[in-house]
Parts: sequence; structure tokens; C-alpha cells
Amino acid sequence: MTPLEWGIVALALVGAFFAGVASIGIVRLPDVYTRAHAASKSDTLGAVLGIAAAALAIQTDLATIKAVFLLTFMFLTNPTAAHAIARAAQDQGIEPWTAGDEEGKS
Amino acid sequence: MPVADSVTVRNTVAYAIEQAESAAREGQQQVSLHLVAVASTRAVDPDAQTELGQAKDLLDRIEVWLDEDLGADPPSNLDIELGVIGADRYLFSPGDYADAILAYADEHSIERVVLDPEFNPGGTTPMLRPLEVELVRGDIEVETAPVERPARSTALARAATLPKYLAIFGASYLFYLLLSSYKPLDFLTGAITATIVTALLAPIAFSRQPSLTRIPRQVARFAMYVPYLLKEIAIANLEIAYVVLHPSLPIDPKMVELEAAIWGDGAVTTLANSITLTPGTLTVSVSERAFDIHSLTGSAREDLFDGGLERAVRFVFYGREAAAIPSPRERGQGDDDGTVEGDISDPEVADDD
Amino acid sequence: MIEFEAALLAIASAFVLFAIVSLYRVFAGPTDHDRVIAVNVMGTNTVIAIALVSGALDKPLFLDIALVYALLNFLLSIAFSKFNVEHGGVL
Repeated sequence: MTPLEWGIVALALVGAFFAGVASIGIVRLPDVYTRAHAASKSDTLGAVLGIAAAALAIQTDLATIKAVFLLTFMFLTNPTAAHAIARAAQDQGIEPWTAGDEEGKS
Repeated sequence: MPVADSVTVRNTVAYAIEQAESAAREGQQQVSLHLVAVASTRAVDPDAQTELGQAKDLLDRIEVWLDEDLGADPPSNLDIELGVIGADRYLFSPGDYADAILAYADEHSIERVVLDPEFNPGGTTPMLRPLEVELVRGDIEVETAPVERPARSTALARAATLPKYLAIFGASYLFYLLLSSYKPLDFLTGAITATIVTALLAPIAFSRQPSLTRIPRQVARFAMYVPYLLKEIAIANLEIAYVVLHPSLPIDPKMVELEAAIWGDGAVTTLANSITLTPGTLTVSVSERAFDIHSLTGSAREDLFDGGLERAVRFVFYGREAAAIPSPRERGQGDDDGTVEGDISDPEVADDD
Repeated sequence: MIEFEAALLAIASAFVLFAIVSLYRVFAGPTDHDRVIAVNVMGTNTVIAIALVSGALDKPLFLDIALVYALLNFLLSIAFSKFNVEHGGVL
């Protein structure tokens, strides 16, 4: 593999690491708000890195532009979606988990 | 609870029923919930028939809602009454309404009045605030139901002007060509598509006139903001990764409020999304300038109230001078209930407003 | 010597694996909000996987699919929360 290809693979690997963090966070964290943290941050970075790798891997100009557009889109929508869900949860009166109540639910 | 037709009456009724039901389930004593429509005209007046008809209609609907909300198994010590009050005289001012409600409350020894936040019977003048003030005169607990008002957005459509048309047409045409294959046909279809987009979106696209001097400047400042944001995001993710992968899950989540010194839809949206993306903080809800923020760890709260992000967003949208506004902590926020440790006793807490 | 294509495909399958891990939360709940967040994460991972496959196989067309999928994914969350906040009312 060329150095560029090594770079792409490294980028995708780091992205996969953060996506893994997001998934593990989704499973381990105690309530809907904290899970939204994992979903919004780690998954966004994972997406950005993964798609950036894809954009570099595709040699066609047009496809690269599309990939960059997809990346921007993910970057904008992921936090918005997490925010919307958290807001809906708050609106429904779901109380945030605090360090006080151990092993409350989940 | 006085009822009148409004956008939030359904939710307010649900709230009142929920309150009454939980009170009934907790205690042994009798709990009664009165839902009353307040009639402004006297029953003998010519208009009264239509008004009473509407009130009847509303009460019928409420009855259906009651069945829905209480379900199959209502507590036995809860009784609910529906009725019309104030039909014996003219009600004109909020004071009159308050008198009628208070008299009724007295008569039935009611301890608490739940108000619909959009309660505004038969009129266009805002009624809730004065009514609340008048009701407090009586020896009674007054509460506005905490139901979500529908987003009161300012009129979405604004007059479309030539600069707006040009800006949108240009942007959508360029975007189309960017994704196309540069055949002659594409230029034609692109023009058609851009025209349709322009016609549809021009009235709602910009909140202010696009200006050739302001927009490039904002874009340039935004380009300076992005690296800063990326750095923050990288830190955020390492922090989350550490917390999530740590065997004992060292989190200390808490909800905090932030009154941000920014204004304008674009700036608020940018700040809210940036907060969500950066270390351990997640915007839960925004109204005007008050942010409800869920934070994952204590250090995340520290950073939030240091206000680095807020300053950066101000810089992007309003320029360098605006960046000099004191940080949230200096404005005396975040340390009232000990949510933020640290410089609580800072003697130089700025005193603005 | 690892092949570039194979490496990218392997990473794409890692993303799919993480999506399957998130599936646990979709089943476990406990609230609908948890489920939607988990589905959202799964959707994001799917988009990344599609993008990576498109990069590995050099099929730019797949990117369009990824784009549409990302749009739908976003729409799901927004529609869900909108529906909840308005208490059953639709827009």
C-alpha cells in the first residue's frame, strides 16, 4: 500500500474506534441524556473520520465533493438530532440520572 | 381550573388531571377537580346562546379527554366536576374573571387554581398575566400549568426582495452544477431547478437582507472558528472515550442553565450545536437565550461557564468588539447553587444589567 | 502485505459490528427515546459503512445512497421528537 492508503486506513481505524466508543457508551451509560452524549459526540467524530477516509479513497472529483457534502451534513444533523431527542425526553418529564441514585434503571 | 378554547388547553387539562390523580392516589381524603368554562355574557343576553353553546362543546370534548387520561381505573376518591360559571353577570376585565373564579373557589373550598398558559377567553388582549395578579389577591394557590406552548415563531415568511432572489438562485444553481456532469443539458435543468427552488424558498430563506459586505466577513470569521471547534471536538471525544471505557464509569451528570449573551437565530443555533459537540455538554432545550444544558462531568461544567465557546460564537456573528462581553461566570451565573466549583468567591464578579 | 480494499472493507464491517452492539439498546429500552438514539447511532454507522464500501470498491454511486440514508436517519429523529413534544399532534 502507498503512504496515502496507509493514512486512509489509519483515519478509518480511528473513526471506527470512536464509533465503537459511541456504541459501548450507548450500552453502558445509565440514562437517555448521557446516552445522547455518546451518540452526538463520539458518533459524529466517528462519522466525520470514516467519511473523510472514504472521500480520500475515492479518486473521482465529483464523488469526493459528494463525500465532503455528506460529511458536512452529518456534522450538522447529528448534534441536532441528539438535541431534539433530549428535548423530547425532557418534555416528557424524564428525570436525568445523577451520581446519587446508583443502579437506578437500565 | 378555568378552561377556554386555546392551543394548549388539551395539555393543561391533562396536567390538571394528572396532578389530581396523583394527589388522590397518595392521600386518603377526597380530591376534587373542577373544570369550569367562564362565560363572559349574562345568560339572558342575546349573545349568550352561542357562547354557552361553545362552552358546552368544549366541556363535551373535555369529558372525552377525561376518559382518555384517567383510563379504565380512576381512583375512587377523585371526583371531577364540569361546569359553566359567571353566567349571572357581565365579565369584562381580568379582575371580573378573577372575581368569578375566586367566588367559585370559595364556594367549593378549592385550594389551587391551574391556569392554561394560553388562557384567553373571548378576546385578543393578553389576559393571563393580569388574571394571575388578580387571583393572587384571593387566599388561593395559583399555578400556570407547565405545558409546552407551541413554538411561537415569528412569521416565517418575509417579503422576498431582489437580493434574496439572486442570492438563492446563485447558490442553488452553483450547487446543482457542482454535483452535475457539466453537459449542456445540465445547465438548462440546473437553471430550471434553481428557479423552482428560488420561487419556493425566497420568502423564508433569509431573516435579514443578504449583504455583500457582511456575509463574506461572517464566512471568513466562521472559517477561523472551525479549527477552534475541531480542537474542542477532539478533546470532547477523548474525554468521552476515557469516561465510557473506564471500568467504573466516572460520571456525574447534572442539568444546568446558561443565559447566553447572544441573540439571533443563527448564532443561537450555532452555539447550541457547538455546545452539544464539545466536552461533556449537551443542549437539551433552548428558549430565546436560556439554554438548558445537560453536562456529563464536573470539568465540562467548568469549561461551559468559562464561556470560551460563547465568546467564539459572538466573534463569528458580531465581530471582535462583541467578543469582549464578560464570560457567563463573570456575569454571576452557574455558581448560585454550587453547580460549578472554583472561583465562587471571586471578588470581581461583573455586575452587568 | 495487506490489501487496501480488504482493509477498508474490514473497517466497514467493524462499523456494522458496532451498529449491532447498539442494537442491544434498541431492545433494552427502557424508554422510546433510548431506542431512537440507538437507532440513530445504527443509522450513522450504516452511512459510514456504505461510504467506506463505496471507497473500497470505487463505486461513487453508493455515496448517493449513503446521502439519502443520512437524510432519512435525521428525519427519523426529528419526526420522533416533534411527534413527542407536540403530544401526538403532527406539525
